[in-house]
Amino acid sequence: MAAGGPSVFLLMVNGQVESAQFPEFDNLYCKYCFVYGQDWAPTAGLEEGISQITSKSRDACHALVWNFPIDITFKSTNPFGWPQIVLSVYGPDVFGNDVVRGYGAVHVPFSPGRHKRTIPMFVPESTSKLQKFTSWFMGRRPEYTDPKVVAQGEGREEENTEAEIPKAAGVCLCPSPAQLTLTFCPQ
Amino acid sequence: MNPREEKVKIITEEFIENDEDANVGKRKKNSKVQRQPRKKQPPTTGPDKMVSEESHLGNQQEPAQDKPQTRLLSVTARRGPRSLPPIPSASRIGFAEFSMRERMREKLQAARSKAESALLQEIPTPRPRRLRSPSVKELETEFGTESGKEVGSTQQEDDSQSYSRVKFHVSARKIKSKPQVPPGFPSAEEAYNFFTFTFDPEPEEAEEKPKHQDGTNQEEEEGEEEPPAQEGANRMDEEELPHGKDAENFLLGLDHTANEFLAVRPADYESVHVRLQREKEMLFIPSRLTVPTYKKLPENVQPRFLEDEGLYIGERPEVARTNQNIMENRLLTQEPGRRWFGDDGRILALPNPIKPFPSRPPVLTQEQSIKTELETLYKKAVKYVHRSQHMIGSGDPSGNFQLDIDISGLIFTHHPCFSREHVLAAKLAQLYDQYLARHQRNKAKFLTDKLQALRNAVQTGLNPEKPHQSLDMIQKTINEYKSEIRQTRKLRDAEQERDRTLLKTIIKVWKEMKSLREFQRFTNTPLKLVLRKEKVDQKADEEAYEAEIQAEISELLEEHTEEYEQKMEEYRTSYQQWKAWKKAQVCKHRPDQAGSGRAEEHPEEETEEPYPEEDPVKPTPPEPTDQAAIEQQVRERAAQSRRRPGEPTLLPELSLAGSVTPNDQCPRAEVWRREDVKRRSVYLKVLFNNKEVSRTVSRQLGTDFRVHFGQIFNLQIFNWPESLTLQVYETVGHSSPTLLAEVFLPIPETTVVTGRAPIEEVEFSSNQHVTLDHEGVGSGVPFSFEADGSNQLILMTSGKVSHSVAWAVGENGIPLIPPLSQQNIGFRSALKRADAISSIGTSGVTDMKKLAKWAAESKLDPNDPNNGPLMQLISVATSGESYVPDFFRLEQLQQEFNFVSDEELNRSKRFRLLHLRSQQVPEFRNYKQIPIYDREIMEKVFQDYEKRLRDRNVIETKDHIDTHRAVVAKYLQQVRESVINRFLIAKHHFLLADLVVEEEVPNISILGLNLFKLAEQKRPLRPRRKGRKKVTAQNLSDGDIKLLVNIIRAYDLPVRKPTASKFQQPSRSSRTFREKHAASPDTRSPTHSADYPLGQVLVRPFVEVSFQRTICHTTTAEGPNPSWNEELELPFRAPNGDYSTASLQSVKDVVFINIFDEVLYDVLEDDRERGNGIHTRIERHWLGCVKIPFSTIYFQARIDGTFKIDIPPVLLGYSKEQNMIIERDFDSVRSLSEGSYITLFITIEPQLVPGESVREKVTVRRHHINFWPGAVSMYVFFSFRQQFLDLLAGDEEEHAVLLCNYFLFLGKKAWLVIGNAIPEGPTAYVLTWEKSHYFIWNPCSGHFYGQFDTFCPLKNVGCLIGPDNIWFNIQQYDSPLRINFDVTKPKLWKSFFSRSLPYPGLSSIQPEELIYQNTDKVAAAELQDSRIEKILKEKIMDWRPRHLTRWNRYCTSTLRHFLPLLESSQGEDVEDEHRAELLKQLGDYRFSGFPLHMPYSELKPLIDAVYSTGVHNIDVPNVEFALAVYIHPYPKNVLSVWIYVASLIRNR
Repeated sequence: MAAGGPSVFLLMVNGQVESAQFPEFDNLYCKYCFVYGQDWAPTAGLEEGISQITSKSRDACHALVWNFPIDITFKSTNPFGWPQIVLSVYGPDVFGNDVVRGYGAVHVPFSPGRHKRTIPMFVPESTSKLQKFTSWFMGRRPEYTDPKVVAQGEGREEENTEAEIPKAAGVCLCPSPAQLTLTFCPQ
Repeated sequence: MNPREEKVKIITEEFIENDEDANVGKRKKNSKVQRQPRKKQPPTTGPDKMVSEESHLGNQQEPAQDKPQTRLLSVTARRGPRSLPPIPSASRIGFAEFSMRERMREKLQAARSKAESALLQEIPTPRPRRLRSPSVKELETEFGTESGKEVGSTQQEDDSQSYSRVKFHVSARKIKSKPQVPPGFPSAEEAYNFFTFTFDPEPEEAEEKPKHQDGTNQEEEEGEEEPPAQEGANRMDEEELPHGKDAENFLLGLDHTANEFLAVRPADYESVHVRLQREKEMLFIPSRLTVPTYKKLPENVQPRFLEDEGLYIGERPEVARTNQNIMENRLLTQEPGRRWFGDDGRILALPNPIKPFPSRPPVLTQEQSIKTELETLYKKAVKYVHRSQHMIGSGDPSGNFQLDIDISGLIFTHHPCFSREHVLAAKLAQLYDQYLARHQRNKAKFLTDKLQALRNAVQTGLNPEKPHQSLDMIQKTINEYKSEIRQTRKLRDAEQERDRTLLKTIIKVWKEMKSLREFQRFTNTPLKLVLRKEKVDQKADEEAYEAEIQAEISELLEEHTEEYEQKMEEYRTSYQQWKAWKKAQVCKHRPDQAGSGRAEEHPEEETEEPYPEEDPVKPTPPEPTDQAAIEQQVRERAAQSRRRPGEPTLLPELSLAGSVTPNDQCPRAEVWRREDVKRRSVYLKVLFNNKEVSRTVSRQLGTDFRVHFGQIFNLQIFNWPESLTLQVYETVGHSSPTLLAEVFLPIPETTVVTGRAPIEEVEFSSNQHVTLDHEGVGSGVPFSFEADGSNQLILMTSGKVSHSVAWAVGENGIPLIPPLSQQNIGFRSALKRADAISSIGTSGVTDMKKLAKWAAESKLDPNDPNNGPLMQLISVATSGESYVPDFFRLEQLQQEFNFVSDEELNRSKRFRLLHLRSQQVPEFRNYKQIPIYDREIMEKVFQDYEKRLRDRNVIETKDHIDTHRAVVAKYLQQVRESVINRFLIAKHHFLLADLVVEEEVPNISILGLNLFKLAEQKRPLRPRRKGRKKVTAQNLSDGDIKLLVNIIRAYDLPVRKPTASKFQQPSRSSRTFREKHAASPDTRSPTHSADYPLGQVLVRPFVEVSFQRTICHTTTAEGPNPSWNEELELPFRAPNGDYSTASLQSVKDVVFINIFDEVLYDVLEDDRERGNGIHTRIERHWLGCVKIPFSTIYFQARIDGTFKIDIPPVLLGYSKEQNMIIERDFDSVRSLSEGSYITLFITIEPQLVPGESVREKVTVRRHHINFWPGAVSMYVFFSFRQQFLDLLAGDEEEHAVLLCNYFLFLGKKAWLVIGNAIPEGPTAYVLTWEKSHYFIWNPCSGHFYGQFDTFCPLKNVGCLIGPDNIWFNIQQYDSPLRINFDVTKPKLWKSFFSRSLPYPGLSSIQPEELIYQNTDKVAAAELQDSRIEKILKEKIMDWRPRHLTRWNRYCTSTLRHFLPLLESSQGEDVEDEHRAELLKQLGDYRFSGFPLHMPYSELKPLIDAVYSTGVHNIDVPNVEFALAVYIHPYPKNVLSVWIYVASLIRNR
């Protein structure tokens, strides 16, 4: 490292968001961003990205293939707060509104080499049936204020359930996983 | 060798004989090809081969072959020509094969016998030539050895030679007998062979092999190729040996011919002896002989075999005996030190490390094809067995265990249906049982015999027949005997007495029963007691009795005499003592003790003795034993407990011979009872582990209350037996069964198996209460045998179950008992000694002493490696070095995992930093990138923090100039910290809305609106404003947020006055407060001024916005009412880059909006250049400012309005008068407003979600505000008024309340106004009524506005709070301009306390009076002079780093004198005088400056205010500065600060 600054270690991540399985949806795109701890800072590469819209493949597996590249380098002084990649998938609903189809997060692998990760995706669910209907009707599905919350643990504890804290937003798991392949090598 | 093999051999041998001849001819023919190579073979190769063979065959075969060889020799000797030894492997021929062959050979034999007889005549002479040659001899030797599979070793060389010689003779003889068939002449059997060979291919094969071997590389082994072939081939044919022999024969023959072609000379042969001799010199060849043990052990040491001593010795690896011998010999010779041998004289060896099973997976051999590997194996489906600790036999498929429960019957010892007679009968039966048991043991007899024996022993002991024993010893033993006699006698007496009582009781019960039967006139039970009398010989009996008594008496007498003597001894000593004491005080008393002492009993005597010194009483001599009394005693006792002499021995016999009275002779009640008994039936349930597994059949209750079941239940158990219970159920008639009792059976020990288990009886009893209406006594209810009901008895239903429980035995005699290891602790058995845990329990394992004790008891072999760990544990635990703690430690291994000590961990700076950060200590809360290494962390990182910690309680006065304020500041700081800490906790609690954006449930109106929207025009002509999207503060970074300040216009700015202008009339701004109200605006007339023609630029103002030290300014406009309409964009940086809501809320930065006048000065010195250029200097003069805190903007989201510009009271060179002319029309509107205004629009881009304010989240006290917005908060705030004053800190509400109260105190009509204002947002103002005008007071700034003042910051009014009521605004409008403040009109104001809810007359919780202490003026003065002024001056110099800052002292002192005037006049009315004075004094200076007035709380706002004026920015070279500070103290430590700052430029 440079003489002046403190010693850091670098974590280079490159890979791609390969494909997803969303049996019910088509024409999806995905966003990714990273969540990391206080001791981490990105030094190069893109911290977030938004992919092209992809259509289902015609074959039997109906995969939604993006092959969307990820390339980022972090520097850090502390493994605490190891970066997580947060993926959120969007797509049009029946009325053509862009709605969120899934959130998911995974830690960047800890060991160098090629890794393939399959992330189960989920979306928050409406708090009531009526809201579910109206949100469907109006194309304003419930979504996270910030996709990064899926990588954070705050607000999920259940110590005071009566008033302040909701049990973490009612979450419904989409039946199918999105997949992400990461290849990375720390130095 | 079994008989069959023997037979086979015999047969084969016969054949060999015959075959030989046949083969010879054939051989000749077949082996012609082989001859050529053989010729080359030099005959000397023999010895070489010998050696080589020795070396490679070596050890393996040697032990096995020694014996056969010797045996073969003898066989050869005996059998003569048929001496060829049987080949060991010959026996391996399959019998079938053999028999087939046999038949063939029988034929062959028949044919050959003829041929043989013919050939025998042609026996060729032996070849003596060859025999004589040593090489041949060697060869022969080899042959001999080889045929016997003898592998020679050097050691046995001589032997082998010797018997090879013998063999040679044998073979030579054989050869002699061999028919020498002439070549080319097929003999008869040759011909026969030719045809028969097809049936028997073996010889052919055997021939092929030597051929092949010869042809290849085994030339050395010439004559010996047969034996290797024999060895190599699995099947040994009996004919092979003859072949070998034939070959030899041929060889011999060929040698003969070869000699003719080759030059023959003796080979370089070294005699074996010579060679051996030489070798002996060079080589050391250890002997194979067993080494005698004494050589291996040290002198005079017997070998010790640990194994025999019972110690564990591991299994030694298997080493051949010979090898071992060789090794031992070698060690003894080469390593004379005896370290190699153990105590037992054997080589020390570790236990055999070879495991019984291979750990390497089996290697696929080539022969196994892949196919076989892929073959499917059928395995029978195995039932899945649960793995559980409660299961037995889990993982053991054959684990079926069986428990046999034999329930033979049930006897009730009491039953509700018992009649009284039954009760007695049961009692009798019980007693009789007891009697029988006692009788069987016959303890009394035993004890009597023992007594007799002891007496005899004493008798014999007394006779000193054994002189070698010392008298002492005898005495001792006799004493022992005597004491034992005493004991035994006591026991015997007790036993006898008991026997007698029992007998008496039996008789008594029987009598009772008899009387009962008589009384009730019927019999219920067949019980009958017969007392058999045994006649005794009265005389003998009496004698024995008497003798017994006499013996006892004599013994007792003896005892008593002993006792007496002992006591006499004691008496004498004590008497001596008493006498001595008596002498000492002879005069005192002389008690007559002789008579009384006699009468006294022993106990009293004893009680006296312990205290002889205290008060010695004359001891009484003991009473001599009274023989008569003793005799009396003995006789009494004997009479009591013993059979009287001559009395017959009574032997009770209980029988069931009695007859039961039939039903028809019984009374009704008894019949009912009997019928009831018949209706009852009983069955048992068998419960295994509390689960019913089976039940017996239901049997009727017999009249004798016995039930016989006789059933055996075989329980195939799967779970480990934990409990085994029998439940006794009784059914009455057809009703449902009732549970009578539960019987718990013990689980049998593993040694108890079926057939060996005894029938046991287990008692049970029930606590049920039954009352019956017939003769049955019931149970649990009192009944009596007496007529009067006395002597009541309560009996409970009880009984006995006879059963046996045992483990079943399987078909093959194996008991079906679950394995020991799986038994749980509750079940103990003697077998469990082997298992430590089951033996002493799990708790015992932790108790080392117990464990060690157990180990010692069970004689664990300490050398057994299986016990190794345990032994080590015990040895460690029991040795003194390590102690066993008697406490329990939860994580006893914790220390192992501590990689550094705690101190070291605390010393680590990095760890500390991480720790502090995770604790959210403010200094480190947002610390990023904590360095990896300790060395990279600067010590100074902690300095601030440590300092803060240190100063937490120390009041620091450096920053806070007076102590009171320092205390206050500290307090505020602490409050802030605690609020922040609470907020940080709250920050982690998210609401659903914080995480998830979800549409509200739409109501009808929204739905309708949305539907309406569908019909809406896509591009309306007049678009409506749409709300901006709000951004949460989470994903923001530096530069994302901008502060937009739109400066629109300003009103009424002060204008310049020419410096040359003269003293002027007091302008409007200089009117007094009173005048303002008194005078109507119309009365004022313009008083000036012809100096400025209309339209001339009077002021060129511009606006400078500074925020977070970023400065932006607008273009310069002209005139006192400029319109800029410019948008300024200022970046916003959150503290520490933390854009969280909490952090944004804590931003304390202020937006300064300063209005300056741009002044151009012509600095052209030379008039001549005026035509050529313009040289002006721009100066800017501060006109005023507006301060808006960022937090206000943040919470309000946007600020839009007109603000009063804070203009210093004295603005030298400026005035506002001229606008009267220009804007007359507005005069009436703004008649009461003062000063200048600026219209602004401020917002943040992007719009931030303000989040909830900290206070709402963390303060409890505001919870109620929703209900009674005014009242409660008012009362709440009232309660804090005192504190507010003390702290000198409060918000608008507190100020407003205080002000309102002040007005009320002054007797004015005043209300608190709750409403919205700009820029404060929701706030509180004060409304006063003053001479037909309403005034609205800003409580913080002290400004007041008329009701109709357009610039009033209060924009709407929600409610009014008066001293006795609260009114809510229910008018159409809420702007103060348009509402009526007349609260008496109920249509306009809704009062809180009405007739329905009258004012309850709440008492104030406030102190009646607020005491305003005077402030220490000295301190204020000190603060003024030494602190603030000094600091400000330093600051100004700091701000001008590149210029010289001169201070004009003269001016400063002038200003300092002037400031108190300003304070006293409240900034009014002084400007002109001041100006005049300044002009007078500083006539030749161009002066620009102004006083700043502000309340004092901290130093920082003062500095900021000075900075924002920009005075220091003047960079004219000869500029001078003046700065004066005045502090006016008000009571209660309220300080008003005046700062006069000015710049002076000398006019030339």
